[in-house]
This record gives sequence, structure tokens and C-alpha cells, in this order.
Amino acid sequence: MASAATMFEHDGASPERAAGDRSNLGRLAIVVLAVLLLVMMVVSMTTGASGASAWSIIGSWFGVVPEHAEQALRDHAVIYNIRLPRMLLGTLVGAALAVSGLLMQGLFRNPLADPGLVGVSAGAGLGAVGIIVLGTTMLAPLTSLLGIYSLQIAAFVGGLITTFILYRVATRSGQTAIATMLLAGIAIAALAGAITGVLVYVATDSQLRDLTFWGLGSLSGANWTKMAASGPIIIASLIAAGFLAKGLNALTLGEATAAHLGVPVQRFKLMTIVAVAGATGASVAVSGGIGFVGIVVPHLLRLIIGPNHRYLLPATALLGASFLLMADAISRLIVAPAELPIGIITAAFGGPFFLWILLRKRAAFAW
Amino acid sequence: MIEVSALSVHLAHRQILHDISFSAAPGAITAVIGPNGSGKSTLMKALCRDNAYTGTVRINGHDLMDMSPVQAAALRAVLPQSSSLPFPFTVYEVVSMGLTAGRSGVPLSMNKRLPEMALASVDLAGFGGRYYGEISGGEQQRVQLARVLCQVWTPVLDGAPRYLFLDEPVSSLDVKHQLMIMDVARRYADAGGGVIAILHDLNLAAMYADSIVALREGRVAGHGTPAEVLTDDLIETVFDCRLSVGATPPAGMPFVLPQSAGRHAAPASIPKVA
Repeated sequence: MASAATMFEHDGASPERAAGDRSNLGRLAIVVLAVLLLVMMVVSMTTGASGASAWSIIGSWFGVVPEHAEQALRDHAVIYNIRLPRMLLGTLVGAALAVSGLLMQGLFRNPLADPGLVGVSAGAGLGAVGIIVLGTTMLAPLTSLLGIYSLQIAAFVGGLITTFILYRVATRSGQTAIATMLLAGIAIAALAGAITGVLVYVATDSQLRDLTFWGLGSLSGANWTKMAASGPIIIASLIAAGFLAKGLNALTLGEATAAHLGVPVQRFKLMTIVAVAGATGASVAVSGGIGFVGIVVPHLLRLIIGPNHRYLLPATALLGASFLLMADAISRLIVAPAELPIGIITAAFGGPFFLWILLRKRAAFAW
Repeated sequence: MIEVSALSVHLAHRQILHDISFSAAPGAITAVIGPNGSGKSTLMKALCRDNAYTGTVRINGHDLMDMSPVQAAALRAVLPQSSSLPFPFTVYEVVSMGLTAGRSGVPLSMNKRLPEMALASVDLAGFGGRYYGEISGGEQQRVQLARVLCQVWTPVLDGAPRYLFLDEPVSSLDVKHQLMIMDVARRYADAGGGVIAILHDLNLAAMYADSIVALREGRVAGHGTPAEVLTDDLIETVFDCRLSVGATPPAGMPFVLPQSAGRHAAPASIPKVA
């Protein structure tokens, strides 16, 4: 029997990597995904209907004089005013969608939670539609107060309210019932959809045009104004998410155990809900509903590097950004010079993937 | 020292615990026994601040209510009855979660190896790479104990004793590992830490506990050394069941007592910490 003296001491030997410690794999994945994102950013900058090439811009930085000056000027405008904000917005929205999916899955302790599936996006959408339709009449004081941020903040508040309702309904004493969560999400989405429908019904023709553009689930309207309105909210939410990794790990053991481990659970949950609402709201405001990124990306990475949020969280942000940039590039190329709404591409990847998850884990969902 | 005084808990307009007072000394194992529904788990939850309570709980002289989650986590670790995980963590990763608040008491560079040492102490050396969801229930319980040990690895930190709160730590273990886990608790106490454990097995309580708190219908029915508490009369009062302490079955009927393992000196011989 080990004596009491040696049992709870340490032998001072040099640390070595232990079996089951996947932190090196996590770090490697982050590096690989960061490189992938850089590649996707370049691809995004060089893809588009106009044929403008980012290479001529990069060349101009190094003093390479283009053959046709007029052409170069036009390319310059296309790239700085259209493609650059679109690429940045795509990066941020992709990261935001994937990370808010991951945060919800951690909060609800359930790999199926996703803002799009459980009604948070619908709630954020209701907020956005409300501003578009009522922004000049009933909500005019609000829009004049909030300026270019009106749409974003309305979507944020819509997402926040939905997440709170969902959490209160589906979680009892720290345990979330899967069936209750999904059913409550369906109910909330239906309710938000109904109210959105009423708003669309009373909308004027020009508002309808705005709604259609917004609701396509597309990055095609990206510009610097949208970037300025949504970018800071998304970046703030992503930074906040970075502080949640340790707590999310502890929370997988349940709320009581997380508290015993030293996590201030109530404050932690509030911070998570606000981060989800911020990231989802700002994304929905700028790009409408883009589905399945929040399910596919975290799940895929969990299979590869494991569920340790310290590595899973940054990896999810990076892959989410790459995934959306790729989907956006495809949406621009597949029916060029027209564009397919990006939501169609992500759903075409995400739908079958979701079914695959269900098939693989059917036993675990036999409620 | 953990001092509980006049602790009462109401849940859904029903009073579950009435005016509970006892203390648990460092260097000792304090066992809580009692029938189902007597309030053992509610008492544990109150000590962990999971439930609201009236009265006071002091740990090393500090009121539990005034502590932040991080401060409390540095003073005591809690083993729940069972834990399921929604995501495919490895055993190593689960045990590492014990380091969330970061006061294991070993140098920072050693924290990486602590999970392996903790696993070895619960007879799970080499299990770090297995998936938590794929090992047996008894093994999961021992993994959780390893996680709990990581959280408060050194039984005394900065001169102050630390505590293990164990809610039925051996309920799903085979007899070998029951003894093993109780030995871990014993060694933790011998090294200066304190242990409060809910136990169903009266023989294990008799064998390992320095002091026993017997609960019945939310009240303390007896508190003292095993010899003082485990009497025919008290057992009948508490468990509503007439039993004879120390009686052996008729000749020819086999019986197996954990005490026969002979791995543990009688509690009486262990010096009490004042």
C-alpha cells in the first residue's frame, strides 16, 4: 500500500505527453485550418463574375505595372469595394455561425443544438424583419436612435429573447431534455415565423424588395456599411466565446459539477447566451438564414480532434469561416454570372451530413 | 474543520432537513448513513451549495455562503453519484477537468501528469486513452474520483486542510474496488485532508469511518464514533429494521465481511486530529 506521504505528492519527473491527451492534435488542427482559411480568403478574392484578379492588386503592391491601366482601375474598385468586404463578412459570418452552434451544443449539453434548428435564427429573423417593415413607422424612434446598427441590434435582441425562452423551457435543474428542446425550438420557430408572416403581409412593395434581398441567405449584398455594422458585434461575440472554453468543458459534466469545479455557472450561462445571440443576430442581420454550418462544422471537428473546447472552439471558428467562403465561392461560380443563394449550398452539404449523424447515433436518440 | 450548524433545507414547500448540526474534522473520514429518503443526498447538496439552506456551513472557519465558486473549488471537491457525458471525451480529458479552477497544489509543470497519477491511484493506470463512454459504470465512477482527486490533489494547501465530498463513492463498485476507493479516502485523511462520505454499507462505515452521522427523516439520529453509533437500538431506530451488531450467522452459512481483507488497521488506532 502506498503510504500517505507519497500518495498525494508528486515525483518531480519531467512532464511527458499522456495517453488520451489530444492537445497536440488540437494545436496541429488549428494551424492547418488557419492555413486553409488563408487559402480560402485568396480564392474568395479571386472568384467572381467580373474576372477581376486579386493578383493584379497584389502585383501593384510590388510595383508590377499592369498592361491596361483602365482595366486595373476597374479591378481595383471591384476588389476593394465588393470582394474585400464580402470576403471579410463571409469569414466573420462563417465563424459566427459555427461558433454559435458550438456554444449552444455546449450550453445544452447536446450535439444537436443549433441556432438554426431550435428557433434562435427565426427569432433573430423576426427582429430583422420587424425593423425592415416597421422601421419607418412604429419603430421609427428606435431606428433613428440606432442608425446603421438597427437591423443588427433588432436581430440580436430577437435571438437573445428566443434563447432565453428556449433555455427556460427545456432545462430543469441543469438537465436539458432533448425532446423538449427540439419541440420547444419548433414551436418558437413557428411562432416567430407566423409573426414574421404577418409583417411580410403588411409590408409595402419597397419593403418587400428589401426583405427578399435580405432573406435569400446570401452574402451578395455585402458592403463596407454592413461590415461596419455587423463586424464589431461578431468580433466581440467571438472574443467572448474564447473565454468560455474551460467552462464549456466543465459544463459537459452537468451544471452542479461545473459549479463544484469552480465555474460561476449562472454568470457563465448568461455570457454564453449573450454570445450566441450576438453572433447569430449579427449574422442573420447581414446574411439572412444560412443553415447547418453550426451543426456540421463542430461535429466534424469533434470527430477529428475531440470535444475539448480549448482547441475545438478556435478550430470551429476557422473551419466555419473556410466553409462559408467555399460555399460562397461555389454560389458565385455554379450559375455565373448569376448567383445561387449561399443557404442552398450549405443546406446541400449540411442536410445529408445531419442525416448521417442521426444514422450513426440512432441508438443515442431513442427517446 | 467543517462545521454545520442548524442546517435546514426546504424543497418545494416541504422541509427535508431539520436543524442538522455536526462537524467533520480534517484527518478523519466522516460517514453519513441513513435509509433512503432520510436526507443524505440533500445534505450533500446543501454542503455543495446546490440547494439553498438556512443555518450555517463553515469550512476552515469561513462561511460557505461568502465563498466564490473558485474559492470553494480550491477547498473541496465533490464526487457525484453518476455522470454521463454528451460528447466523446477521453478518460484523460475527463480527469483533466479536475484542473478547471487550477489549485491542485502541485507545480504548474506537473499538472499535465497529474491525471495519470490520479488514474493510477484508482487502479486505472493506462486508461487515459480510452473513451469515457466506452468503459464500464464502475470504471466511470473511478474516473470521476480521479478527476475529484486532481482538483484537490494535495490534502493540505497553504497550511489549510482540504476536503473530499463523496456521494455514495462505492455504490457501483465490486468489492475489491470498494476497498480500494475507501483506502484512497483513508490515505487522503491520513495525509491531513478531510472526507465526508455518504455510505450505504454499514460494514464499510464501521471499518473506515472515524465518525458517523446517522440521519433519519431529515434529523440527526446519532453522531459519534462507529462504536457509539452502530448499536442495535440506533440501527433499529434509524433503519426501522431489527439487526444485531456483531452477530454471526448460524454455523455453515457463509458470510463475507470487508473487514476480513485485513488491509486496514482498526480506526481506533488512528490518532484523532483535534
